[in-house]
Amino acid sequence: MEQGKRKVQAKNLTKRFGELLVLDDISFDVMEGEFLCIVGPTGCGKTTFLNCLTKLYDITNGEILVDGAPINCKKNNISYILQESSAMEWLTVEQNIQFGLGIKRMPAGMKKERTEEMLELVGLTEYRNYYPKQLSISMLQRTVIARAFATYPELLLMDEPYGQLDLDLRFRLEDELVKLWQKTGTTVIFITHNVEEAVYLGERIMVLTNKPTKVKKIISCNLPRPRDVADERFVEMRNEVTELIRWW
Amino acid sequence: MKKRESLRKSVWTIISLVTLFLIWYLGSRNEELGRLMPDPVEVLKFIAAGFVAPIGKKLLWEHILWSLSRVLIGYVLACIVGILLGFAASWFKVGEAVIRPFYLLLRSIPSLAWIPLAILWFGIGEKSKYFIIFITAVMIIMTNVMDGVKAVSPELLGVARMLGTKEKQLFVRVVLPCAVPQIFNGLQVAVGSAWAAVLAAEMVRSSEGVGWIILAGQSSMNMVQIFAGIVVIGMIGLLLALLIRAAERRLCAWNVRGK
Repeated sequence: MEQGKRKVQAKNLTKRFGELLVLDDISFDVMEGEFLCIVGPTGCGKTTFLNCLTKLYDITNGEILVDGAPINCKKNNISYILQESSAMEWLTVEQNIQFGLGIKRMPAGMKKERTEEMLELVGLTEYRNYYPKQLSISMLQRTVIARAFATYPELLLMDEPYGQLDLDLRFRLEDELVKLWQKTGTTVIFITHNVEEAVYLGERIMVLTNKPTKVKKIISCNLPRPRDVADERFVEMRNEVTELIRWW
Repeated sequence: MKKRESLRKSVWTIISLVTLFLIWYLGSRNEELGRLMPDPVEVLKFIAAGFVAPIGKKLLWEHILWSLSRVLIGYVLACIVGILLGFAASWFKVGEAVIRPFYLLLRSIPSLAWIPLAILWFGIGEKSKYFIIFITAVMIIMTNVMDGVKAVSPELLGVARMLGTKEKQLFVRVVLPCAVPQIFNGLQVAVGSAWAAVLAAEMVRSSEGVGWIILAGQSSMNMVQIFAGIVVIGMIGLLLALLIRAAERRLCAWNVRGK
């Protein structure tokens, strides 16, 4: 943690909705290439944090920096995956996946290569020419995940992305996420309420308190990969995080 | 399965139309009701005869073309202005502040109320007719364009921004395609209303058009002619709506295909 560059810095982040204090003076750093999982009780403001980071909400106080400056989506290569599907309904699966690549003006050859790779990854090759209205919720979410991965983002923000998927697919995409992370050295902020998922994925796990939200604890999680959910140390760590969430 | 279902639907449609026709026919035979409603066969005969012998000064299809051309001019103007103003009043904050109050003031004024003003401003020629049709359609189109833009989810915009979409691109690549189905909905409702407003428009002195057929029928107490005008207006309105829907199906396949 000492070495490396700070990728994301949250400084005294505070967010109020009118009288309601949601985020209460939160500060933390995310290092470049790090995989940070954020867990916390439901409705504790996990999504609010991401919405502040992505400027969907105005911040009441404090600041969030990416590479030492306010977030700049044209310069930084960022992908954002939401809880609900954010597929573009007027584009086919294939065109959805290419949206970010097109915006970033990737050369045609690379665009094609990435599209094939991503279609393969999420298992939608057969459905490439379908429109979102013709797909199931799980397929929609896979489309969105493929769109986010396709740009090989330097910062990947994920807000309970796998909540809608069946277990089988979730496990596979968790592994794929780890692979993508290892391969591209991307920085990942992954929000979940699933403790096991957090321990399986994260290098550090940030536990948040109930509203008004503060950082309860940040735990380093350096179990070897690939991780085994039945491993003794894994279970130990999972229990530790569960305890932290239970006793706020 | 699907084929059979659509066949069953069309059978029911035909049954309902035939029933309506029968009720109308039998009703007109009744002495009391017969004074209020002409025999539908007479009405159809009148319509058929209108294609060969002139009603007033013109043949029926000429009346239809006159009315259609009026509607077309008013409607196309309304489409251009309505879509532009609708976008300006919903996507741009300043546009919203400037345009919206006028929109709110004007939208609940019925098209009939514009007739006196239309005459004062544009005289009794064609321009006042275009204006009445225009003002009817433009409000409907604006409403739908604005609703369509407002319905674009902030999350979707956020995701697109995160992927690096510039504000200018955002409109073309996200807002516009997202709003298209709602805009089409507006265009479809508006074409119906614009066509219906043809009667109001032709009340401003005219000697041709399907609205005129009805008005002339009223002044000569010719009930068959009035009904013939109503039937023709209804049929053309239906055709126009079908036309727009066919265009939508081609242009927004993504919105129809899944259903």
